[in-house]
Order: sequence, then structure tokens, then C-alpha cells
Amino acid sequence: MKPAAFDYLVPQTVAGAVDALAAGAQVLAGGQSLLLEMHLQRAHPALVADINRVPGLDTLTVVDGTLTVGALVRHKTFESPGAVPGPLGDLFARAVGYIAHPPIRARGTMTGNLAWAHPASEWCALAVALDAVVELRSTRGTREIPAEDYFLGPFQTARDPDELLTAVRYPLLAPDTGVAFTEHRRTGFSFAQVAVGAALTVREGVITGARIGLANCADRPLRAHNAERTLIGSEPSQPVFTAAGEAAAERDAAPVPEPYADVDYRRHVVAVLVARTLREAAPV
Amino acid sequence: MRITLTVNDAAYPLEVEPRRVLADALRDDCGLTGTHLGCEQGVCGACTVLVDGEAVRSCLMLAVQCDGVPIRTVEGLTGPDGQPHPLQRAFSAERGLQCGFCTPGFLMLAAGALDHDLSENEVADLVRSNLCRCTGYEPIRRAITRAAHAHQNGQDGRHRSV
Amino acid sequence: MDGWLRREDERLLTGAGRFVADLRVPACLDAVFVRSEVAHGVLREADCSAAREVPGVAGAWSAADLPDLPPMPLGEPAREWPALVEDRVRYPGEALAVVLGDDRYHAEDGAARVRTRIDPLPAVVTAQESAADTVRLFDGLSNVALRGEAGSPIDGEVWERAAVVVESDYRQQLLLPSPMECRTILCVPGGDRLTVWSGHQAPHRLRQDLAGLLDRPEESIRVVVPDTGGAFGSKSAVFPEFIVVAWLAVLLGRPVRWVEDRRESLLVATRGRGQDQHVRLAADAEGRLLAYELTVEADVGAYPHLGVAFPMQTAWMATGPYTTPKVHATVRSLLTNTMITYPYRGAGRPEATSPLERTMDVLARRLGLDPAELRRRNLIPPEAFPYRTPTGRTYDSGDHHAALDLALRTLGYDGWRAEQARRRADPDAFPIGIGLSCYVERSGGERGSLHEYVGVEAGDDGTVTARCGAASSGQSHATVFPALVAETLGVEPARVRLVEGDTDELPGGVGSFGSRSAQIDGAGLQHAAGLLIEEARERAARLWDLPVEETSWSDGAVHPVRGSAAMGLSELVKRTGPLRIDERYEADMAFPFGAHAAVVEVDPELGTVRVLQVVAVDDCGRALDPDVVRGQAFGSIVQGLGQALYEGVPFGDDGLPLLDGGLLDYLLPTYAEIPPIELGETHTPTPRTPLGAKGAGETGCIGTPPAIVNAVADALRLAHPERLQMPLTPDVVWRAAA
Repeated sequence: MKPAAFDYLVPQTVAGAVDALAAGAQVLAGGQSLLLEMHLQRAHPALVADINRVPGLDTLTVVDGTLTVGALVRHKTFESPGAVPGPLGDLFARAVGYIAHPPIRARGTMTGNLAWAHPASEWCALAVALDAVVELRSTRGTREIPAEDYFLGPFQTARDPDELLTAVRYPLLAPDTGVAFTEHRRTGFSFAQVAVGAALTVREGVITGARIGLANCADRPLRAHNAERTLIGSEPSQPVFTAAGEAAAERDAAPVPEPYADVDYRRHVVAVLVARTLREAAPV
Repeated sequence: MRITLTVNDAAYPLEVEPRRVLADALRDDCGLTGTHLGCEQGVCGACTVLVDGEAVRSCLMLAVQCDGVPIRTVEGLTGPDGQPHPLQRAFSAERGLQCGFCTPGFLMLAAGALDHDLSENEVADLVRSNLCRCTGYEPIRRAITRAAHAHQNGQDGRHRSV
Repeated sequence: MDGWLRREDERLLTGAGRFVADLRVPACLDAVFVRSEVAHGVLREADCSAAREVPGVAGAWSAADLPDLPPMPLGEPAREWPALVEDRVRYPGEALAVVLGDDRYHAEDGAARVRTRIDPLPAVVTAQESAADTVRLFDGLSNVALRGEAGSPIDGEVWERAAVVVESDYRQQLLLPSPMECRTILCVPGGDRLTVWSGHQAPHRLRQDLAGLLDRPEESIRVVVPDTGGAFGSKSAVFPEFIVVAWLAVLLGRPVRWVEDRRESLLVATRGRGQDQHVRLAADAEGRLLAYELTVEADVGAYPHLGVAFPMQTAWMATGPYTTPKVHATVRSLLTNTMITYPYRGAGRPEATSPLERTMDVLARRLGLDPAELRRRNLIPPEAFPYRTPTGRTYDSGDHHAALDLALRTLGYDGWRAEQARRRADPDAFPIGIGLSCYVERSGGERGSLHEYVGVEAGDDGTVTARCGAASSGQSHATVFPALVAETLGVEPARVRLVEGDTDELPGGVGSFGSRSAQIDGAGLQHAAGLLIEEARERAARLWDLPVEETSWSDGAVHPVRGSAAMGLSELVKRTGPLRIDERYEADMAFPFGAHAAVVEVDPELGTVRVLQVVAVDDCGRALDPDVVRGQAFGSIVQGLGQALYEGVPFGDDGLPLLDGGLLDYLLPTYAEIPPIELGETHTPTPRTPLGAKGAGETGCIGTPPAIVNAVADALRLAHPERLQMPLTPDVVWRAAA
């Protein structure tokens, strides 16, 4: 289990990194998925561009209600709910604990997960639920793609091979938003069989805003639009959450069978987990 | 590529292929075989070392990424005076090892976190980062908790950062 | 002892341990195997020519390139198992070619260039498919590799007259032993000798096998077992890869090493368990057991090997801890397209305990009896030992009632039953269940391996050297055995050192498997130390010109019964010459036993199981080092937890295991899964050795899984828990609950 040989570049600027990508390089940021794939000989890049020494990519900034997460911000940054203002920080802190374990979180990056696009990724599900936008740079220029248009399938995205995912932006959540993240998995080490992130706004006793992200409920991360629609205008209650869960399971999710989780079971878990996550997110 | 690994305060000038993972460079090029490879997929944690003070999987980092960055391995845990680290004493006292293959990884995992008082949850989060097939983990949890207390109370006679 | 509890600890805690992969040997070549990506097929091509051109590659060979390469030692029935595939692939990952490189990277580069072509054949991975014999692993020969039975067939009348008969089917799923260190071998030729370093449980057996295969005298091979990173049964054989490595080392006259990596291990390391079972259990209206019938269909992997006969262990142990008058077990072992099944911690006894204990709980429910009470009515009473079972075992000793009572007390059985009732009345509460499991283990080995080389030698410097044929893979031999010898001799433990795991240093040896080291090597070392004392007294008596009866032994020295003169061992050796005892010690098998209990909480909506408590009461007779025994018991329980809830090998339609994610798919328990575990002990020494120690360390794998499954069935109040088949993953539990 050793990586095949490759050439190695250490660009010192974003422009340098983008040039390396134009030359066919594979980006090494946290490397926690890439190196594993290389060990398994499922990835054999001829050229690797290690962007870890590019200054400026390791920052979190908040400007005009938008959070920008740079390409070198590690998972562990989000362990503290205060790292990101308001309920968004709370939601990230709840989700990050499900990502592997401390040594992986010390190296792996949020944007790396978005670039890798594993269907079970917590960050990817939240990105689509939260209207995140990914910023892609290449020698041809910079473009931004809404997360929902960005994920195309398992490990497939709208990113062109020569594009560097430099940042992801999230609109902050309003201070009165309730958030929750739950995950169903077999052991502490396994990927999610189903994970659900939710953000709920209740004003004057009525749900006025709902965002539900689903991980590993389809071949890509999903936002449960149908479930969200059943919530808007309703008073938060167990029957309402149950109905939303059923909508998510029947109309949003498109589960893929895997060992120990066939389609029927997966759908059932989506229904249960969405309802539970909403109940937890509902501001008291 | 020509790099210098700085391991346990000693410099190792090396000529390595870029693909060489840190664990192999430590083991084969530096001769520090205390770091073990148990899965090469970042799961088991037997290869955990400190890079720039932080516990990482040395199977999921390239040696070339660590050029000039301070690294600490199990061989550097014992103090310069030859005194065992409180973690080493605690692992023995609590029977936190049997075959000992995973042990260096658990030691370094914990060593990276001993700079502050560890809550029960933090210890649990650490212990569940690595795999052990002999002990059932509970003795490892006890050992880390014991060492953390000893460290914080200064019972190890020194406050040494690792 | 200088602050370390075990002698092993200092080196293992400071990075100074030496596992095979840690040994530095100049000019050593690393072996990488090119492996089949199909489960069953005809090999059409294995072309290594491109691999030989890769920089850093020292050579590459398919079977065709090594016509004299010996095959694996023949099993029963005899089917040739080539060390490299010649024409037929019979399990996924079977080695098609080998590449040697100056390091693993280059060898893997070469392996990637070996061109192979296999025409796939239909694969059989279940016993049922195999039994049909529609796809045969060996052309013209049945897949049935063994038929056996224990006990006598039971009259139909018994079943007809019984008040209750419970029938059920169970699956003991395939498991991967998964020591943290995978298999290793390093062969270093030198002169007319070959030194073999291997993380191994039975160095002498490995030497014997290699000598036979390489057709050279045993004395020309030295097998050394350095630090070994766990084994759990999986490191006691010779393997195809070992043969290739040893052959090439001799052929090339260069050191060659194979360090199995995790991906290989998941594919080609030996598997454990693998049985489909059918049971019938009959009882009268009071719950007294009348008859028990167990039918085992074992999927044993691709080639006949020790694993073919191992299901007989299940048959022999089918009686369990009960006085059931009629017990009959039948076994069929069936070849399947997987790597072979082989002993894994518990080896045959978990497969015996699980169906019986699960069926006992069903029976209790059927009879309206408390499962603890049903067991009490049937446990073999202490006065009945030695107890001859209908399946041919003679249990040495036991007090099963005491173990069960202690387990229930430790658990707080009545309290949990009350909590269970409370929750059943509360519609919002998750249900809890309580599961019990009483077991009998067998330790020491079977006829043919119930002996061991042991020796004790006194040095003229005051040291004592203990020798035995065991080989530690984490069991603390270097601490425990010297302490035992020191206690017997009455000397400081620090004066005694242990030599094991090196065939050059020992006149013989059997090894460490089947929980035999404490029981046989331990008793043997105590015996040898006793012989050394006798010899010392005789020598001193001669020196002092006294009858031997007028000498005595205490505190490591001979004393005349009258007078104050004393002669320590070192002085005696100086005056009378070398003092060394070498013995072949024999002891019969023993039967450790115990009772385990588990409490679980089930989330029926999701099917998740949370284990709230595990209590394990084990009786291994005399525990040589109670803390070491407890440490192993604890780890064993966690492996049992793995079988009950997490571990398994799912297969695709093509017969390939669905484990592409490695240890992210084959889920070993992590600390996140560990429940509160309480250990309890009773001590019923075996009368079969003066030491009284029985084997320890395997009981968690035996007793814990059925306790957990029974607890889940209890939580869900399942009358027919057949749908609860291990591992109890959430989807399985959800379906059973529905």
C-alpha cells in the first residue's frame, strides 16, 4: 500500500498553485483522503501541488454577513463554536465532531472535503443546505458556483481539473436560528449511513425558515427541499417534524444500497433522523 | 528530493522520493522504528506522531511535507535525563498495553494533548481516535487520565513540552 | 521492578520494541504479491516480464517461473494448494506472482506492471451454495471436505414426548482476527543455515513445516519470534506467502521479507468462525433439558487445512455447561471461494456456545421461566465433576452455579429487571434487555499437542533461566513465567529470565494457541523448577554426605535439616557443575467456564443497540497473574462485542468481499463502542496439574456475544429471534423489531 511515484511542487502563491493545476497537478491540501486513495492505488497523480505553503488560504473571514473559509482551514478550527459567529458556528461545531477523529481533523480541510465530494461528507451536506458558494480559480479566471449546482455525483463535481477550490462562502445564519446535526453510523470510525444537518427559524410561533442537508442519502449531498416546504408556515410540533421526515425520505432522498443499509432501511433512517434533527433544532 | 527531517531535536538530512510517506521515512530512513504502520489508511493510528506539536497520522503525510518542521516520535518521549515520560509510566501502571504494537501511536496521540488539563470528554475523544486489539481501551483511557493529572500537578518533576 | 509493571513494558513504551518489520537487515528485499481480483477463475496469464524492468525491482516470478516451488503442506482431504496460483484461482487475493524490490515502494511499482488474465468462474461463498456441488472448487471432486459427528443420534421419540422443543437457525459469521500487526516473515540465509524471523505463535511448528517444504534438515533452520503484535490464532500456520519468501531467500541467497499490509490482511489473512447452524432443544415442562441437537454446515474456505476439522471442536463442545442427557452434533465442512477459516480467539467454542445459549433464552420464554432459573435447573453441579458429556468431553472441574450467581449479583439482575418493567410501562422510553450466557471453554489443546518443552537452569552467577516452547504475542510471558519460577524456587523474580520463541535456544516446543501457555507451559515450568530443587538437594546431600531427606529447600537455597549452613544455587553450580532441567511436560486439557451477562438499550426506530453494561465472570482456575488475566479478559470481551455488533464480511455477487474501505468497512470496536465492563472471578483449579491453572483470554469471545444477542432479543421481546443474526447492525435489529 504505497503511493505510485509522482512529481511534487510546492507553490508559494495562489497564482503558482493555479499554474501547477494548469500543468495537470493534483492539489494536496490536508491530504487525508488523497493520500489514502494513493495508498490504495485508486489515485495516481503524476504531479502533486502541495498548497500548504500558500499564504492567505488558512483564514476564516466574515464580511457583510458572509463567512469565507479558505482552502487551508482545517476541520479542527470549527470544533470551537465561537470560531464562526452565531448559529452557523454552533452548527459547524456540532457537525465537525462526526468527522473522523482529532489527528485527521488536525490536517484535513473543509474545502478539501468539498473538492473530494464523498457522498457521506458532513461538510458537503451542510454546504448545499446553507446555500454555500464555492470559489474556483484557474488560469482562465475565477468563478463561483452554488453548492447545489456543484455536486454532480460520488466524487464528481463541477470543478474542472485545472481549477483550484480556493474558498467556500456561507451566508451567516440569523441569530434566532436553531441548529442541529445528527448522524447515524455503525461505529465511531465508520462513515455516516445517514447524516442530517438542520437550521430552523421560528418567528411568532411559526416556522419561517428551514434548511435541511442530507449526507449519504443519495449519490451526492442533498438539500431536502420537499421536506423544507412542508415546514414553512407550520407551527413546530412532532407531527410536523414527522411529516417533514417522511417527505425527506420519500421525495428528497435517493438512497444507494450498501452493505448493512439497503434502500428501504436508508429511507426509513432518513425519515427518523430528519424528524429528530428538526426537533432538536427547533428553538424552544 | 533533498530534505531535512528534524526528529526529536536531531536533524536527519535525507534524499527521498516525494511519494515517501512520513512513517516510512521515519522508520527506514531515520531508523526510528518505534512508529508502526498498522493500516496505512489513517484509521488505526499506530503511526501517530507529533508534527509541529500536533498529533497526526504519519501514513497520511509525505515526508517532503515535513521538511524543516519539528517532529516528535515515541523515541523522543523519554526525557534527556533518561527519565520516562509520565505517559510511559502511566501506560505501564494501568496496563495500557499488551502486545505493544499500537502503543507508540496512543502515546503520541496523548502527548500532543497534554499541554492542557484534559477533560474526560477530551480523553475519550483521543482514545477513540486509534485502534487497539488487545486491551479493550479502558486501561488506555485510565493511563492517559493518570498521566494528564500527573502532568498538571507537576508530579513528573518537570513541565516539558513534547 | 524499576517502575515498570511488566518486563515487556519499557522497550514497548520507548519505541525499542522490535517487531519483524523493525529489524534492519542489509540488502534485504521486500516481497509484494500480485493478487487475484476475482474469487474463482482460471488463470490464463501471469506475465512478469515488464515488472522485471522496473527500477528497484530485483525479480518477479509467477508459478510458471518457479516450477520447483513447493505447495502448501497437504490437508485432509488432500488437495494441492500451490503457493502461487498455477492454473486455478480459488479465493480472492490468492497470490498470482511475487515481486521483490529493494524496498516496498519499488516492489509495488513492479507488481503494478505484472500482467495477469483470469477467466472468471462462478464463485461460491456460502456453505449452502457449496453443498449443492454445482460449482466445484476442484473439478470432479465434491466440495464436502469433512463429515463428522459427536454424540449419538437422538430417538425421534425424545422430541415427540418433550413438553417443549425449540428449533432455530443461526449464523456464526466470518470474522477477521485482525491483530494490529499483520503477518510477517523475514528469511535470512547465511552459510548452510536459514534464519527465519516471524511474528508467530508456534516457531517449532513453523520450522518443521519449512524444513519439510524446503527439503532440508530442521537444524538448518532457526525460527525466531521477536515482538509480535497480537495473533489471536491467526499466526500459527505456514502460509503460501511464507513458502514463497523462504524459497526465494534460499534461491537468491539474500534476505527477503514479507510484511503483510492491512489491505492484504483483509483479503487473505485467515478468517474465523463461518458456520451455519441448526439446533433442536427439548425440555420437559419443568425446564429440564432432555435433548440437544446441533447441525453445523461450515464454510471453511478454498483449501482443506486445519480449519476443515475445526468445526469438530464445536461438535465436541456442543453439550455446554448443562446436564442434557442426550446431545448430538453433526458437522459438514464445505469448501468455499474465500481464504481459509482457521482458529480465531475462541476457535470452535464461540460457535458452540452461541447457538445453545441463544436457544436457552428462547426456551425460557416458551416455558415462562426466568432465563437464569432455567439455567440453574440444568447447570452441571459441582459434585458431578469430572463430568463426561454425551459429546465425548470429560470436564475436569467447575462450579457453574457460583459463576452464574456472581454474575447476576455483580450485574444487579433484579434491579435491571425492575428497570426493564418500568420502561415497558413508559411508551417514550427505549426498551432495555438483559441477556445471559453460560459457557464452557476448552484449554490446553487436543491430543497430540497436550505437551510442551519446559526447562529451568541455574547459573553460577545466581541467575535462573526458564525456557519453554510458548511464544508470546502480547500475553506477558516474560513477566508471568519468571515470576512463577521465582515463586517456586523462592528467589527474587528479577533473578529469573525467560527464553522462548527461538528454536536455536530450545530443544523443542509446541507454541502458544488454544489457551495453553499458562496451563501447560506454566504447570511445566513449575514442575521443572521442582525437579531442579530435587536435583539441588541431591547434590547438596552428596556434598554434605547426608541422606537427601535431611536436606530441605527454602528461599532459593538448600539447607541441612539440622544446622544453619545453606547453599544457594550459584554456589551449588560452582561446586557441582551445570544444573539444568529439560522436560517434556504433559498435561490433559482443562475446561475453564463462566457466566456473562449484558444489558442493552435498543432504539427500535433506528435499530441501534447501546450496551449499558457487560458483566463477565470467568473461572480459569488459578490465575498466575490476576491483572494479566483481567487485561486479556477485558480485551477478549471487546472482541466478542465486535462479533456481536460490528464485524462481518459481506460479499458481492461476484464472490468478492465488500471491504474496499478497509478498516472503514470492517469495523473493529473503538473506544466509542466500549460499555462499562465489570469482571468477576471464581477460582476452581484444574485437578489435572499441580499448578491448577486453566487457560484464559478467549472467554470474552465465547461468552459475550450470545449475552448481547440475548439481551437485544429480550429488549425487543422476540419470540422467534432468528432474524437477529450477527453482527446485529442497526438494519438487522430494525428489521427484527418491525
